Amino acid sequence: MIEVKKIKKEFEKSTKRRKKIKFYAVNDISIEATDGKIIGILGPNGAGKTTLLRIIAGIMEASSGKVLYDRKTFEEAELDIKKNIAYLSGNTKIYQSITPYELLDMCLRFYEFPKDKINSRILEISKLLEIDEFLYNRISKLSTGQMQRVNLARCMVHNPKYYILDEATSGLDIISSQIILDFIKEEKKKKKIILYSTHYMEEAENICDYVYLIDKGKIIMEGTPKEIKQKTKTTNLRDSFFKIIGGFNEK
Amino acid sequence: MKSKVFLMLKKELREVFRDKKSLSMMLLTPFLIPFLIIGISLLFDSQVNSSLDDFNKMGFTYEFDFAEEDMAKYYNLDYKTGNEEEIKKLYDEKKIDLYIKKIDNTYEINYDENNEKSAQTVYLAEKFLESYKKYRQQKYLQEHNINSEEALEVINITYNTINKKEDNFYVNYTVGYAFLFVIMAITISATYPATDATAGEKERGTLETLLAFPIKSKDIILGKFLSVSTTSIITGLFGFLLSLVALFYSNKWFSIYEDLNILPSLPTILVTILIIVLYSFLISGLCVAIASKAKSFKEAQSALTPLTFICFFPGMISFMANIKTTNLIALIPFINHIQIFNDVNSGNINSLHILLMVASIIIFVSLVLAYIIREYKSEDILFRN
Repeated sequence: MIEVKKIKKEFEKSTKRRKKIKFYAVNDISIEATDGKIIGILGPNGAGKTTLLRIIAGIMEASSGKVLYDRKTFEEAELDIKKNIAYLSGNTKIYQSITPYELLDMCLRFYEFPKDKINSRILEISKLLEIDEFLYNRISKLSTGQMQRVNLARCMVHNPKYYILDEATSGLDIISSQIILDFIKEEKKKKKIILYSTHYMEEAENICDYVYLIDKGKIIMEGTPKEIKQKTKTTNLRDSFFKIIGGFNEK
Repeated sequence: MKSKVFLMLKKELREVFRDKKSLSMMLLTPFLIPFLIIGISLLFDSQVNSSLDDFNKMGFTYEFDFAEEDMAKYYNLDYKTGNEEEIKKLYDEKKIDLYIKKIDNTYEINYDENNEKSAQTVYLAEKFLESYKKYRQQKYLQEHNINSEEALEVINITYNTINKKEDNFYVNYTVGYAFLFVIMAITISATYPATDATAGEKERGTLETLLAFPIKSKDIILGKFLSVSTTSIITGLFGFLLSLVALFYSNKWFSIYEDLNILPSLPTILVTILIIVLYSFLISGLCVAIASKAKSFKEAQSALTPLTFICFFPGMISFMANIKTTNLIALIPFINHIQIFNDVNSGNINSLHILLMVASIIIFVSLVLAYIIREYKSEDILFRN
């Protein structure tokens, strides 16, 4: 179970007159994700999704609030928690000068995977994600789609419990996106917890069990896609979002 | 923890050895050193050997007798004789570098003190006139039936060198510069991998991947620092080996090193290896510290360029100014390694100074590493763009 409790993240930005002002990229956000659920974190670019997920993945520290993984914080067990996290974002790139095999081997060693099982695990995952054909080619020689599949393999190779996927399908072609979406659905069946952020509302509507709509660092609505549509009296999440934003602004 | 640092080191080294730019910085820079050593030796050699041939053009405002003609041949003078007007004209046209006027028994050397060639030619003119003077003295004594040998050599001066100096000005300069070139190669070699491992990783977007791994920022920094140090040590040792080869051949090829052993002694070689390793750690730590604070690869490179000069000049000044090593100097990074190299190369091995240098560099590197580890946790460093 992942519990995010009253997370705030403060940053500084410069004004036109070069005056520094403080603002909250994430403002008092609480999220709960239970086993076997896909939790959608939706919002436009700049809403604070990436900052929130970086904090949840332990890459960034919150200004205040707590993140708990099965009731443990990063302060208590950072390395143990990170061993069970898979973090994939549109910003995360992979090393170009090595082969997918070397990358996966390196990842498994970082995750302290049993040494005698490393080779078989790499072969297993490469077959699953169809990267076995170019397993020994340099990553720099691969196409964008192939590279994203390698990145996905990198993310799941250690058999994590928690997935934090930030705009994972952003900029990908329809086939590569589908591979990722299918993979997410498969992992859900294995009772894994998936935090999935996107600005593609249709995509989220299809796969998410529960959705948090975020704008300007705040949760503006939460619920199952069905509940949100009912509350906003719309037929899809895109319209729901615009309706809430409009209503929110009027308020 | 050790295994994570080792994994980081392995990852970084794999990237360095597969990157053509890093490889060329690491291995091609030392190849310039032999050319620089041979170039310096060639310059010194040509200066020394060209002195007689280049500074021998002179004029005489009188005609030579037979003895003067023989001596002029002996000293390889390129001379002109004639009246004062003709000779002055030749001097003004720069066909001769000085001229000698004879007034009774006085020989006046006319030269330009501000002209290096003219001033250098005076040396040969003096030698020529001294020899002619001695010839005339001998002749005078013989004409007056006096034993010239007894009269001219009433006392004899001989030299007995108690402690023969093995090296000379040129040897000191060439060996000193060879060491400075190695130091410079290490500095240049450290900058690229340090930039690539920190700012480069940030720019390529792989840093976020790395931070998501169950690894502490301390281990990340140590791994990066050790990989940059490894490449610097390889450059330093390779450069030093090539320097020894270049010095060996320079010793054979150039007459300025004749009868001298230009190659460093075994203790000098061992201390130099120690200095190369220590300096590599020092410069790698600084390069990683500076580059990790940069927003981009370009910014890191701009920030590191002055470091190349800052590292080179204090050492060069201490080498040129012939500063004596004290305990305090042995503690100052960027000066102590040059000082101790010069001392050891001159045969003065001071164990205390070496220990102080080792201690000061270890403390300095530890402080730099502690600073980077603290800074590497800062989001401002990791995520600003």
